[in-house]
Amino acid sequence: MSEPIYKIVDDLPSSSMTVRLLQALDWVVPGEWKNIVGFENTIREVTGQSDPAFVQRVGERAIALYNDKTQGYQRALWLYQTVDFVQGVAGFTAMLSKLGESFSFLSFLDRLTPKSDTTQAVDLGLKIVTEIVAFCKINGLPGDSIGDFVESLADYRHEALMRMGTLVCIDGLVPLGPDFIDKGLSLLDRSGVSTVEQSSRFNQIKEYIPGKNTAEQISFMQQGLEAVKGWSQNFTSSHNVTLDKIVSSLRGKLQGVEGHLDYLGAFLDMSVNYYEHTGVQSIARSLISRAAAEI
Amino acid sequence: MLRYRWRLLVWGLAVLACLGGCGKAEPSRWEAAQQSTANQPAVAEQSVEGSSFNRFFPQAERPWDIVFKQEKTGFAQASLQKDGREMAVLSVSDTVNNPDALQKYQTSGLTLDTHPRAEIGADATAVLVGDRYQVQVRSQDPEFGPADREAWLRKFNLEAIGRIR
Repeated sequence: MSEPIYKIVDDLPSSSMTVRLLQALDWVVPGEWKNIVGFENTIREVTGQSDPAFVQRVGERAIALYNDKTQGYQRALWLYQTVDFVQGVAGFTAMLSKLGESFSFLSFLDRLTPKSDTTQAVDLGLKIVTEIVAFCKINGLPGDSIGDFVESLADYRHEALMRMGTLVCIDGLVPLGPDFIDKGLSLLDRSGVSTVEQSSRFNQIKEYIPGKNTAEQISFMQQGLEAVKGWSQNFTSSHNVTLDKIVSSLRGKLQGVEGHLDYLGAFLDMSVNYYEHTGVQSIARSLISRAAAEI
Repeated sequence: MLRYRWRLLVWGLAVLACLGGCGKAEPSRWEAAQQSTANQPAVAEQSVEGSSFNRFFPQAERPWDIVFKQEKTGFAQASLQKDGREMAVLSVSDTVNNPDALQKYQTSGLTLDTHPRAEIGADATAVLVGDRYQVQVRSQDPEFGPADREAWLRKFNLEAIGRIR
């Protein structure tokens, strides 16, 4: 049995490296994201109600819905957690927490290896596929409904929009440049099955990527990237998202970041879990919204 | 000396009591719900598919728009938007999955036309159709009040939803 949903939401940090990263990028989706933590608090925020009896009934129904595996919420959460997990991350974050707020980004560089462009492209493709599959699980659609997903991207709000905005910045623009979708597509084209199969992220979530074999799953990743191309181009231009602006907003949080962008991907992999953090918030919102309608 | 030993004993007992009791966390208000629903189905076998509700949602014309959000067994939900701003959440749910939901209609004494009606908190209005399906409108914007909720409830094809089996 997985951990109870109320505990997962209660355990979301109100302050952490991930929260600071998301706050630093808040300008990308102004007014959309609020770091809502705690199960009761989330019920109050989502429903706008604070009557204790109402909160209790909504919470109990939300817990029941989450506990029914056939409803897809548990699987969606697992996907968000797994795609964000990198081996060794626990030790690294423990080290960061020991050093507190005043650590220097530069002091960790010698412990990291820059991610290759191909690894960045695979990770970008996997995160987009995770979003598509989790979206389908949460909303009750078949897992390969790329078209439905892309249509609803225009309607993404709150933590879901923050997640996609951060993806564009941190997993797209910073490591791969302004044409990150095209670059990601061509890198995936060239990478081949064996390279993708070396990715621990891919191996962990491949069971849930549509496709009978790795080649078909890579093709699904490419379809996912291709499908979000129009949305991401429109997003970066309408929100005026540039590499300079991203770096300048991160500068306050990660001293020395501007000269070491090639390490940023590896550093963030080890130190933040924004997919999991905002994924938990999205799932809690969907559960609570449904529970409030069913009680 | 005796007084000193007596004090030591009192302090010792206090420390033991604290170790035994103070460390225990209060049980969560959610624990009972967690225990009773762990690995249990939350939807009934006889529940209808959420997709069967979709075509009976209101039709929206500019500046209004309806964006479907969730479609699960016995449940469909959409966002009602005006010029891109979310004004309300519209839902239809099958009470066979949560029969307790019927109680509020039995005690409310309210109706909307011929349908039993209930106010759920300050921001939501729901009607029961066909003695089985709840149709709910929940305000998401202060401009969208009780009269708007009733108006949009009437835009559902309530009779058709009530006939779904």
